[in-house]
Amino acid sequence: MKLIIPHIHKTLGGAGFFSRVSQRGEIKELRVTVLEGLRQIEGILIGRRIFETPLVISRICGICPTSHILNACAALEKALNITPSLQTDRLRRLITSAQIIQSHSAHLFFMSLSDFFNIDDDEKLVEKFSKESKAVLKLRDFGLKIIEAVGGRTVHPITPMPGGFSKVPDKQDLKKSLANYQEAHQASLLLINLFKNLEYPELKRKTVFCSSYSEKDYPYHKGEKIKIGDNIFSPDDFFSNQVEEDLKTPPTKRVTFQGKSYMLGAIARIKNNWSGLNQGAKLIVQEFQKNKQLKQEEFFENNFYNSFCQAVEILHCLEQIKEDIELLLKEKTDQPYVKYQVKPGKGLGLLEAPRGALLSYFEIGKNGRIADCSIITPTAQFLRNLEEDLKVLLPTIKDLPKDKKIRRVKTLIRAYDPCISCAVH
Amino acid sequence: MHNKTMKKKKVAIVSLTACEGCQVALLDLGEKFFNFLKKVELVDFHLLEEKPFPKGKIDIVFVEGNPITDEDLKILKKVRNQAKTLVVMGNCAALGGIPEMKNYQGKEKTIRYIYKNMKDIANPDIKEIDNFVKVDFTIPGCPITNDEFLKYAEILIAGKIPKIPEKPVCSECPYRGNEKCYLRRKEPCLGPIIYAGCGAICPKNELPCYGCRSFLPNLSPKGFLKTLEKMKNKEEIDNDLEIFGLKDMIK
Repeated sequence: MKLIIPHIHKTLGGAGFFSRVSQRGEIKELRVTVLEGLRQIEGILIGRRIFETPLVISRICGICPTSHILNACAALEKALNITPSLQTDRLRRLITSAQIIQSHSAHLFFMSLSDFFNIDDDEKLVEKFSKESKAVLKLRDFGLKIIEAVGGRTVHPITPMPGGFSKVPDKQDLKKSLANYQEAHQASLLLINLFKNLEYPELKRKTVFCSSYSEKDYPYHKGEKIKIGDNIFSPDDFFSNQVEEDLKTPPTKRVTFQGKSYMLGAIARIKNNWSGLNQGAKLIVQEFQKNKQLKQEEFFENNFYNSFCQAVEILHCLEQIKEDIELLLKEKTDQPYVKYQVKPGKGLGLLEAPRGALLSYFEIGKNGRIADCSIITPTAQFLRNLEEDLKVLLPTIKDLPKDKKIRRVKTLIRAYDPCISCAVH
Repeated sequence: MHNKTMKKKKVAIVSLTACEGCQVALLDLGEKFFNFLKKVELVDFHLLEEKPFPKGKIDIVFVEGNPITDEDLKILKKVRNQAKTLVVMGNCAALGGIPEMKNYQGKEKTIRYIYKNMKDIANPDIKEIDNFVKVDFTIPGCPITNDEFLKYAEILIAGKIPKIPEKPVCSECPYRGNEKCYLRRKEPCLGPIIYAGCGAICPKNELPCYGCRSFLPNLSPKGFLKTLEKMKNKEEIDNDLEIFGLKDMIK
């Protein structure tokens, strides 16, 4: 018996689903299919100039361009052997937080929520949840305004460059964006409340979680270590020795760790960096687990909860934004960027994009142009895990009518929040 | 006919292979976008709905991205057949965009950096959408300027084809005529020969214009580009023109 979904809407880029199950319920074939063409961004960058790399790399993805640019800048800075200023570091954390807020809120409200109410059109959803939709749009706008103030534009920001930013944001603009903080904070609680009270489908499978890791905070704008399962690696070791890119299913690479699948994104970050998560966010997770009568490990065996974790992360990022803006307002304005001389070298960047750990590697050749480039996106890393989860899910829903089965499959795929534009690029 | 009795126009927003940034730019309009949707019947926009694609005529179809896969091409031809008005949205659809850069490198070479076994991977030359189907209007930019989308969409809904004012980016640039102007500083900037409408957003953010909104009509860029070659060598200027798909427009 086949279950095919030609196009799964409400995901970034084009994805589909194909499965073939025997009479006895054995899964013969199962894959998340990809409808996006290969744009060859990595190949395109070979031979190009350093200053234009952010411009090109940004176009990998329209929902998380900020992540792609910032991580490319970090990698190029390592290759050029320069260290950006503390101000740059704060500004980068600021827009990474804002990027997570805008991406998560768009995903949660406009793409994921309708699955729980079997609604096929967000215009109907906006009618049903009129108060919540207004709040979420304001919450998302809070994030967007910050990206705009710092990056110059929300889709494909302009100012980030290796060494810093072409321009430092106006302190008045930063101050102004904080004016809507309370409203955004309230909206995030409303969104959390909505996702706290949903009926999540059952799923039980042990998963290996992977994310940036730190003993002291909740890292996302730059990763100095990476944690996968119980192992902690340097990003270089992880990138060069621990993961493998399977090139057999073009135009998407499927990445594995020691031959096995792993999960990234909000749920992985919360699992791996629990101690760094802010106190309010922690309490919300604990309360959720208590209400649903879930033990810690049960919570982390069900990736449907990734959506809930995204809602929780929004709260964490909001509070981080407030802290960072207040610091920036207090401190003396520094030079926008550190100057660099183009020279040969190589560097790897690690950053938490909304959907998980993003690894960007660049090599600068003797001619001062990009000689090698490899971008491992979160979706390319978690696609295999999504398929493994779907293999466990499918037998548990075999007796449901077809439309309900399709809805359940879509719900899980959307809970992962895949970005096929990123995965293929 | 009174407004109330007029049927809402059917609108579809369709994506080929793309970063989907132009669609995200629409979402970024927030409430303004949802208010716009109240004036039309949105029949396709995959980020916000999952209804089956409608049969029959659609008043306005907006298309984003590049036709790379066979399926992309099929979709493009299908929507052209159904569309009364077909509007391309963004630099990729209009000018080939970032993906077109591979055309200048030798596409067989470019793909080998990524995949050694190229069987089963669509790798066509990247071409502007008007090479495949008739295009009625273009909303330029990478990404589109979302307020400009609303302005032109209103005109399109009224059944007219908008006209983009033939003004250069410089006309909106705060550095026009002063010492911060890139050209005055002897740094190449395409501002004088590119369509305004973006609010000169790149120069405002300390990046020269690389021309994502296309050359103004009725002028030959060649003379201006010769001037730029006095500031940077020709290879560099050519590289600049490759970023947003302008190089192949210069005859």
